[in-house]
Amino acid sequence: MPKIKNYPRLNSASSINHEAEQNSLFLPDFCALKMVFAVVVIGELLAIVLTMAPLRMDKQLWNDMALVALFIQWNGLMCSSALCLLRPFFKNYSNRFVALSSYLILLLIITLLSELTFYIVEKYYLFDAISSTSHWEFLVHNLIIGGIISALALRYFYVQHQWRVKVQAESCTKLQLLQARIRPHFLFNSMNSIASLTRTRPEVAERMTEDLAELFRMLFREDHEMIAWARELTLSEYYINIEKQRLGDRLKISWEVNDIPDDAMVPALILQPLLENAIFHGIEPEINGGSIVVAGELNYNQLIITVENTNSKNIIHRQGNKMALANIEERLKAHYHGKASIVCQDKDDVYSVIVSMPYLMQDES
Amino acid sequence: MMKILIADDESLARERLALLLKEINPEYQQIEASNGLETIEQVNEEEPDIVLMDVRMPGMSGLEAAHHLMNCETPPAIIFTTAYDEYALQAFESRAVDYLLKPIRKERLEKALEHCSKLNKLQLEQLGQQNQEVSYRTHISAQIRGTILLIPIKDICCFLADHKYITIRYNKEGVLAETIIEDTLKSLEEEFSSLFLRIHRNALIRKDKIEALEKQQDGRILLKLKKLPEGLEVSRRHLSSVRKLMKS
Repeated sequence: MPKIKNYPRLNSASSINHEAEQNSLFLPDFCALKMVFAVVVIGELLAIVLTMAPLRMDKQLWNDMALVALFIQWNGLMCSSALCLLRPFFKNYSNRFVALSSYLILLLIITLLSELTFYIVEKYYLFDAISSTSHWEFLVHNLIIGGIISALALRYFYVQHQWRVKVQAESCTKLQLLQARIRPHFLFNSMNSIASLTRTRPEVAERMTEDLAELFRMLFREDHEMIAWARELTLSEYYINIEKQRLGDRLKISWEVNDIPDDAMVPALILQPLLENAIFHGIEPEINGGSIVVAGELNYNQLIITVENTNSKNIIHRQGNKMALANIEERLKAHYHGKASIVCQDKDDVYSVIVSMPYLMQDES
Repeated sequence: MMKILIADDESLARERLALLLKEINPEYQQIEASNGLETIEQVNEEEPDIVLMDVRMPGMSGLEAAHHLMNCETPPAIIFTTAYDEYALQAFESRAVDYLLKPIRKERLEKALEHCSKLNKLQLEQLGQQNQEVSYRTHISAQIRGTILLIPIKDICCFLADHKYITIRYNKEGVLAETIIEDTLKSLEEEFSSLFLRIHRNALIRKDKIEALEKQQDGRILLKLKKLPEGLEVSRRHLSSVRKLMKS
């Protein structure tokens, strides 16, 4: 029985990557030496601010500052080691959960340390301002200061993480979009073929360069462009011509597309990635190659284009990047708002991709 | 004079390399192969000094072919060629293996030929681990009287361990044949976990060749495989996984 299934991961390639980044932990690695150093320095600065803020200039200042600093360092290092230890655990949870739970954990640590400090200070009379009467005051003060500082720090880490995600996503998308539409191998293999042909058959090399140029001219255009079917077909033929030079008799292709009107508008280069996939999975892995059938029909105002390739008999299937199909799906969504679809069927000896989209004329698109 | 084997599935790529080699030194003896299997055959017959090996080839990839060539008594030096292969490139760079990027420059090829050194087994294994496409082999190679014998994985019935060696029982043109290799069942099991199943401390069998489970009078349980006359013993520890597989 043939297995009919939708392609497993039909997200756009860029969004997959983007999501992975988005879901990465926003907290930095507190186990790193750099981070420990930063925590110590910030703690020291905070101690200076806290002791100098009341505008005092007495002999006790330095002494107090040292004690305050000691207390803050203690808190800071305990908090960062807790976050360091919890990091592997946090990795499995959403950033919202991590933010809330780490905030609560930080407050808990501050409370515990305050209590402990209070107990020690009271016992050894280390600090004048603290006596048994001010127990609650001490605890509440520490919690307020600690709560504000932790909230600010967490917020800072979150914003920084968001910014990093955005920068990475932006730089990835463009390259990935291009790669989703054409495999870099294709470019370099074609260049190699041209280099070889230049000596032996210059006129074929010339023709191939022209085909390649035209394909890339279209690739570098805007993503959302629509072109006439006749033009799309010509571009696909250029692509196949180039691959034929490389693969020779191993690539057999037949076109059964006369039913589709020449003036039907389709998203530019929607067919080429499908052909590329068919070659990558069906032709290249086989010593004797294979065949591709491109069929098109017009059915109740829907254009149905099928690209079939013989399934490679290699027991080891080639791993593709699954980007091409995801990218086509994304583009169909953008163009036709749910009125188009792409389905893959994996039967025993044939793999086919069926794209269905509304028939639009020049002025409608 | 030096004998060089050009292994590439694309005739244009071979043509170009042949021209460049001829320009570098017209006296080089050149031979060609268009896939991994042919490469092994040619190496067996012609014993070239250097193989210029495309990483991606149909049937058997260049990396796998290189792996089998290591079993040779005097393996040729291998220089990989590739158009663009993210994973392979990363692997090559980190292992300091010589590779050439297509289209290959004449000067670069000349330099590679001068400096080519033999790839060692460790380098190659690490390359394989980093390259997803060749995470497991399509063939097992055994060395027989100085030449490499290749056995397609799809013909193998079972691997049976016996002290240091492993006996492979496979289907050779319709007849059951046997050969011995040096390997461990553990590594074979890991490599081919999708195709083979461990049924005993000393046996790894092809999943789709399972025919029936038979209980013997003495309590032992034997597994019958298609085209294998005798049953293989299933240990108690592996029995549940065999049953599970047979149900599905």
